[in-house]
Amino acid sequence: MDSAPAKRRKLDHAPDGAELALESAASTGVSRSRAFVLEAEELLDSVRLDYATALEGADGLLHRTKNAIEAIKPHDALPIVQAASKLEKRHKIKVPFPNPPPPENSNYKVAFAKPSQFNVVGSYVSKTMVKTQKGHGVDMVIVLPEEILQEKDYLDLRYFYKRAYYLATVTAAVRKELGGDAQLSYEHLNGNPLCPILAIQPTSTEAEGTTKTDKKGVLDFRIRILPSAPDGFFPKSKLHLGASLVRKGADDDSTATGEPTTFYNSTLVAEGAFFPYLKFLRQAEKKCGGFRNACILGRLWLQQRGFGGDISQGGFGHFEWAVLLALLLQGGGSKGGAALSSSLSSTQLFKALIQFLSVTNFAEKSCVLGAGNPDLESYVESTPILYDSARQLNIAFKMGPWSAALLHQHAKWTRSLLANPTADQFSPTFIFKADVPSLSFDLIAKLDIDSVSTTTGADYRGFTWQVGQKVYRTLRRALVDEEMGQRARLIHIQPPSSGTWSLTEESDAGTRAPIEIGILFDPTNMARTVDRGPSAGPSAEEKAECEEFRRFWGDKSELRRFERDTIRETLIWASTTPFGLCEEIMRYIIGRHLRIGQLDDELTVYGDALPSILALKPADTTLFNAAKNAFGTFERDIRGLEELPLRVRQIAPICPELRHASIKPPTFGSSKSGPQPLECVISFEASGKWPESLAAIQRTKIAFLQMIGSLLKTNKPDEIKTHIGLEDAQHETENLAFLDVIYETGPAFRLRVHSDLEEILLERQVKDKAAEQYLRQRATTLLATFRRLYSNLPLHNQYITTCTTRFPALSPTTRLIKHWFNAHKLSYHFTQEFMELATLHVFLSPHPWDAPTSPSTGFIRTLLFLSHWDWRSEPLVLDTSGEMPNSERTAIATRLEAWRKIDPNMNHTVLFVATAQEPSGTAWTTLNGQAKPSKVVAARMSSLAKSASRLIRDAGLELDYRRLFVPSLKDYDALIHLNPKALKSMLKTYSTIHPEDDDNEENDPNRRATKFKNLDVHTGLDPLPLAQHPADLFLEHLSTAYSGPLVFFRGGADDTTIGAIWNPQVQRRAFRINLLGSYKPAAGKQRNRVKGGEDEDGDDQEGESELVDINKEGILAEIARIGADLVEKIEVKGA
Amino acid sequence: MPSTPSTIGDFAILPLSIPPLPAFPQHAIHYLYVRRNAPKMPTATDARSLFLTNVPVDSTESHLRAVFTTLVGAGRFEGATFEDERKDAYSQGAQSPIDAAQPAHAAKLLQAHGKKRKREDEAAAERAREEEAARLPSTWTRPLRRSGSTAVVLLADEKSVEQVLKAIAKTHKTKKYPAWGGGSGSGGLKIPPLGSVWLKTHNRLSYPDSATLQASVDAFSTLFARREQEAAEIAKRLRNEPDEDGFVTVTRGGRSAPASRNEAEEAKRKMLAKQEKKKEELTNFYRFQLRERKKEEQAELLRRFDDDRKKLEAMRVKRGKFVPEA
Repeated sequence: MDSAPAKRRKLDHAPDGAELALESAASTGVSRSRAFVLEAEELLDSVRLDYATALEGADGLLHRTKNAIEAIKPHDALPIVQAASKLEKRHKIKVPFPNPPPPENSNYKVAFAKPSQFNVVGSYVSKTMVKTQKGHGVDMVIVLPEEILQEKDYLDLRYFYKRAYYLATVTAAVRKELGGDAQLSYEHLNGNPLCPILAIQPTSTEAEGTTKTDKKGVLDFRIRILPSAPDGFFPKSKLHLGASLVRKGADDDSTATGEPTTFYNSTLVAEGAFFPYLKFLRQAEKKCGGFRNACILGRLWLQQRGFGGDISQGGFGHFEWAVLLALLLQGGGSKGGAALSSSLSSTQLFKALIQFLSVTNFAEKSCVLGAGNPDLESYVESTPILYDSARQLNIAFKMGPWSAALLHQHAKWTRSLLANPTADQFSPTFIFKADVPSLSFDLIAKLDIDSVSTTTGADYRGFTWQVGQKVYRTLRRALVDEEMGQRARLIHIQPPSSGTWSLTEESDAGTRAPIEIGILFDPTNMARTVDRGPSAGPSAEEKAECEEFRRFWGDKSELRRFERDTIRETLIWASTTPFGLCEEIMRYIIGRHLRIGQLDDELTVYGDALPSILALKPADTTLFNAAKNAFGTFERDIRGLEELPLRVRQIAPICPELRHASIKPPTFGSSKSGPQPLECVISFEASGKWPESLAAIQRTKIAFLQMIGSLLKTNKPDEIKTHIGLEDAQHETENLAFLDVIYETGPAFRLRVHSDLEEILLERQVKDKAAEQYLRQRATTLLATFRRLYSNLPLHNQYITTCTTRFPALSPTTRLIKHWFNAHKLSYHFTQEFMELATLHVFLSPHPWDAPTSPSTGFIRTLLFLSHWDWRSEPLVLDTSGEMPNSERTAIATRLEAWRKIDPNMNHTVLFVATAQEPSGTAWTTLNGQAKPSKVVAARMSSLAKSASRLIRDAGLELDYRRLFVPSLKDYDALIHLNPKALKSMLKTYSTIHPEDDDNEENDPNRRATKFKNLDVHTGLDPLPLAQHPADLFLEHLSTAYSGPLVFFRGGADDTTIGAIWNPQVQRRAFRINLLGSYKPAAGKQRNRVKGGEDEDGDDQEGESELVDINKEGILAEIARIGADLVEKIEVKGA
Repeated sequence: MPSTPSTIGDFAILPLSIPPLPAFPQHAIHYLYVRRNAPKMPTATDARSLFLTNVPVDSTESHLRAVFTTLVGAGRFEGATFEDERKDAYSQGAQSPIDAAQPAHAAKLLQAHGKKRKREDEAAAERAREEEAARLPSTWTRPLRRSGSTAVVLLADEKSVEQVLKAIAKTHKTKKYPAWGGGSGSGGLKIPPLGSVWLKTHNRLSYPDSATLQASVDAFSTLFARREQEAAEIAKRLRNEPDEDGFVTVTRGGRSAPASRNEAEEAKRKMLAKQEKKKEELTNFYRFQLRERKKEEQAELLRRFDDDRKKLEAMRVKRGKFVPEA
C-alpha cells in the first residue's frame, strides 16, 4: 500500500511551472520564429499611439466641424456654373472641380442639403495608427443626401461635379466656424483626381497654447472631410469594370460604345462603399483577436517599402491590406471556406498575408474573393484586379501594373526571408527602409514628358498616369521579353505625388511633372548585346510574328543568319555594359513609341556614376581571366617538374588579382615598376622527412624553392626567370623566403611552400604549458599566420571565385568597396579579405531585397550594411556553405561573447567575421597578433559608412557620387605627403648596378651598388620584382616605430598622402624609462604627484615623478629624416 | 621652450638640436635622457658606460659618436649598444639560428650537459663562425629604433663619464645644443642613407644571389645535422648511464626507431572509429537513454526560449532597434 501512491504520483504528476513554460515554448515552434514573435510584439508596443494625448483635441474639432456643417442653410437647385461662381464671389473659395470642369453651358443643377450621415472612419476609429507613419489623418465621411442626387448622376462626371460643389460649400462653412484655429486646404483623396477632399490642420500655437512644451506625445494631425455617395444609391450593375460611363459629346445613350472607364467606375463604387467597409472591418476585428495587430504590422511592412493608399505610392496601403486580410478571414479558401482561421495570432496572420501576396500577382491574373465568379480576366490588361465580389469593388483599382508587380516582388522577398530560419528575420521585415530608389533599382531614369503630344484616353488619373502606363507597356515589351530572355526583373514607374493646394487655387493635377522609371536588371540577360527575335520562316504564322516584331522595334530590327542556318529578326546593340545597354534600349524604344527620350534632357538616367568613378569596364573580366590562365600555365609548369623529391599536391592562388577582387585588374609587363608577383602557395604530398624543428623546416623550404627555381630555369630557359626573395622576418621560425617566378611574357608569381609538419610543431608549442609565455604567444601568432596563409586563403580564393560567377555584380562591387576604403585611407587597417567578405554578405543575405544585380546597388547596400552593423555585439556570419546549421551560428555568437568577456576593451579582437570554412572568426580581422582594424579605426569605418548612407538617402538621385570618395583630410593631425617621383623611382631596382657606377651616376643616386657580377648586362636591364610595395614598407616601419603615439592612415598603393592622428591616450604623463614615443620635459616644471610612483620601473627612488609631454615636433622631424627624399612635406594641422 | 630643466629624476637631460629639413622646415629639439649605467645585473663595464633613454628612431653608433664628440671631444666614445640589439643578446635563442632549430629535447639535453664539457675559447669562436655562416644575409642597411627606446654607451674610461655629465650640464647654460646629424661631415663611417635609397636597397638585398643563399643553407644543414648528431649521442649516453643517485634518465628514442607519424595517425584514427562504432551501437539501446534524450531536448528548448527572452531584453535596453527607420 505504501509503494502505490508513490508510483502513482510518478505517473500522473500535475504539470508544474517548468512544464507549462515548455509547452508554451514548444507551441510556438522553433526558437527563431519565437524570437520573431517576441520582436514583433515589442515593435507593436513601441509604435503604438496613445490616442488620448497624441490626438488631443481631435474630437473637439470634429464636433465643431460637424456642428458647422449641420448649420449650413440648404438651398434649392441652381445651375452648376452659376452656383460655383456665386460661391467663389461670396466666400472667395474655388470649387475643386475635377478635370475637365463642367462646360459653361452645362445644365446640371446643384443643390445643398444637410448631409444624411456623419461618420468617422479609417485608422482613427480602428486604432491602427502607428507613431512612425507620415501624416496622421482623422477621416470624417459626410454622406451627400439622396435628395440632391439623381440616379443618372453616375454618368459623365455629374456626381463628381456635385460632390465638388458640395465640398466647397462645406468648406466655406467650416472656415467661417474655425477661423484662425485651423489651416484649411484641399487635397485629393488618395491622390485620386476625381475626389477632392478638405483637410483641416489645427493651428498648433493656437490650439495647444502655453502647454505645448510639456505635451510630448502630441502629433501633428489633420482632419479630413470626405464627401461620399450614399451606399447603394447608384446601381452597382451599371458600374461594372467594363462599363463606359463617360460619353462626352456623344448623344447616344447606349452603354456599349466607348472605351471602358474602369478607374472612373471603381472610384464611383468606392465612393459609396465607406460604410459597408467600415462595418466589414469592424466585424473582422471583433471576430479575430489578432486582426488589429496584424493590420499594424502590415502597415509597417508596407510603409517601409514605400507603399501607401495614395496612387503615387502604389495604391496599396493600410486600408487595402486590412480589407484583403478581412476577406481572407471570411472566404477565399478551398471549397468556399475561410482561407485563414480567426484564431491565428497577429504574426501568423501577417505571414499568411505575405504568403498570399507572394503567390498572387494582381497585374497578371485577376483575383476574386467572395461568392460569385464574375469574369474579369479581360480587364487585367487595363488595371490590376483584386475584386471583392460582396461589395463589387476592385480593391486594387488605384494600383498600376508596376506597383502590383513590385508588391508581389516584395512579398516574395519577404517570404523567402521568413522561410529562412537562420537569418535575422525581424529587422529586414519591419525596420529597414526599403524604398530608397538608388538602393532598389539598378537604373533610374527621369522622363520629362512635357513634349509628349496629348493623348485622349478614358483614364481620369491624369495625363502623367497615361504616359506612365504607356511607357510601362513599351518598356515591358522591350525588356521583359520571354522569348529573348528577360532583361529586367522589375520595371517600376513612379508618378509624381499630388499635394495639397489652397482653397483659392486650381488643383495642380494637370501639370506635367517628370516621371521616374526604376529598372531592376537580370544581370546576365541585360549584358546581352544581340537579341534574337523570331525566326523568319516561310509559314504565315512566322511571317506574322516577324511583322509584329518589326512593327514594335522598327528599323532596328534586321535579318541575320545564325548557326544551323536559322535566319532571325535580330537586334544589335552598341553598348557594352548592362547599364549602357538598358539605357540604349530605353532611349530607342521610348523615342520610337512616344517620340521622346532621345534627347539627354528629356530622359535622364542615374545609376551609372559609381562604376564610372573607377572606370570599371566589362573588359576587366577578360583581364582577370587572362591572369587566371597565366596561373594555369604556371601550375602546369610546376607540376611538370619531375625531378622534385616530393609530388606536388596543390598549387593555390591566394591574391585578390586571382579572385576578381583587386581594384585594378592585373596587367602584365608594365614598364613603370618591377614585376609585382601574384601570390600562390604550394603544398606537397605528406612526407616524414621534414626535420622536426621549425627553423630547420624554414631552411628546408628555401632549399625546395631553390630547387624549383633552378629546375624551372633549366626546363624553360628562355621563358622563365626566378628570384629567391627573403621575407622581412623577425625570427628564424617564421617563413623566411619565397620564390618569384617571372615569365618573359609578363606574368609573375610568388610561391611559398607549405609544410604540414610546421603546423603540428606550432600547435605543440602553443599547447606546451612548460614553455615561456612569450614563446607560446609567438607560436600562437605564427600558427594564426600559418593557417591564414596555407589553409584559409586558398579556400577563400576558391570560394570568392565561385561567387563571382554566381553573382555577376560581385566583382565590380567588391572593387568599388575597396576603392571606398582606399579613398578614406582606411584600407591600410583592413585586410583585403575582410572587405571582400563584407561585400559578399550583402549578396548572400540581401534581405529585404534580392542579391544586388548591379555594382551601384551592391555598393550602396554594402555601405548601408556597414553603417548598420553593430560589430560590438554582433558577429558577421557568412553562410558560405549554403546550409550552415543553426548550432554553428550559435557557436559563433558564443565565441564572440567569450572574446568580449576576455577582452572587453577590444584590444585584440574587434571585428568578428566567420564563415563556414573559417568559423574562428578572427582569421580576417587580425594580423600578426594585432587587431586589424583596431577599435578606433573600426569606429571610424562605421561613422564614415553612416554619413555616406545618410548622404545617399538625403541627396537622392541627384547625388554626385564622387562626394562619397572625397576623404576629409582635416580630420588628421598631420599629413605626410610623399614625393610621387621618389615613390615612382622606388618601384624599379636592379641587381646588377656595379659599385663604381654608383659614383658615376651621381644624377641618379637611387641606382645602388651591388657586389654581384655574375649576371650579364642584358639581364641586368630587367628590374627586380618588388618584395613589398615600398610605400607599404615605409608605413609599416613608421607604425612599428610609433605604435604608441601615432595612428597612421593610408589608402591604396598610389595614395601619396599619409594621414596621422595623435593617440588621444598619449598625454602628459610621468617620466619613466621605455615610454612609448619620444617625450620632452613638461613645460610647467615638475609637479609632485602622490601616486606618481605607481608605474615606475623602480628606477626612481624619490617617489615623486616629473612630467613629460609628447615631443610632437621631434617625432615629425624624425619622420622627415626617415623619409628623407621620399617625404615631400609634412603638414601639421593648425600650423 | 623658455627654459629646459637640466635633470629629470636621476637623468640628465641632453637636448639635441635637430636641423630643419625641407619636408619639415621647423627647428625641433629632441630630448635625450642620460644617466650612469646601473643595470640590475652588473657587468664589468658599468663604471664607464652611460644609460640613454628616448634615443631618436634613426640613431646609429655614428650618430651617438658625433654627439659625444661634440660634448667631450674625440677619442672618448668606444661604442653603443641599442635596446633591440641587447635584447637579442639576452635571449640568445632568437638570434642564433641553430638554437632555435634544435629539437626541443636535444636543446634540453645540451643545456643540462653542456656545462660539463667546458668549451675553450677557440671552440666558442669556431661555433660563432659557423653560426654566422648559416645566417641569412640581412635585408636592411640599417635598422630603425622604436621611438622612446634605450641604448647603452660605452666610453673610454670612468673619467669620461664624469666629463660627459658635466658637459651636458654646461649645454643648458650656453644653450648650445649638439646637433643631430650623424656626423656626416666628420670622418666617421659613412652612414647608409634613409629614404627611398634605403627602401630600394632593401628591395635589392631581399633578393640575394643564389650562391650566397645556397652557401648559407648548406652551412645551416651541416651544422644542424651535426648538432642533432651530438644530441643523439648525448641521449644515447644518458640512456645507459645512471646519475649519481643511481637513476637512469628516461630519454626519447629506444632501441627500435619510433613509429612513423603517418602510422601513428592511422592507428589513432582506427581506434577512434572503433570507439565511435561501439558508441553508436549502444545509443538508444535502453529505454532510459531515450527518456534522457527527450528530457535533454526539452531542456534545450527551454534554454533557447530563455535565451531569446534575454536577447530581447538586451535589445530592449538598446531600444532604438524597434523603431522602423524613417
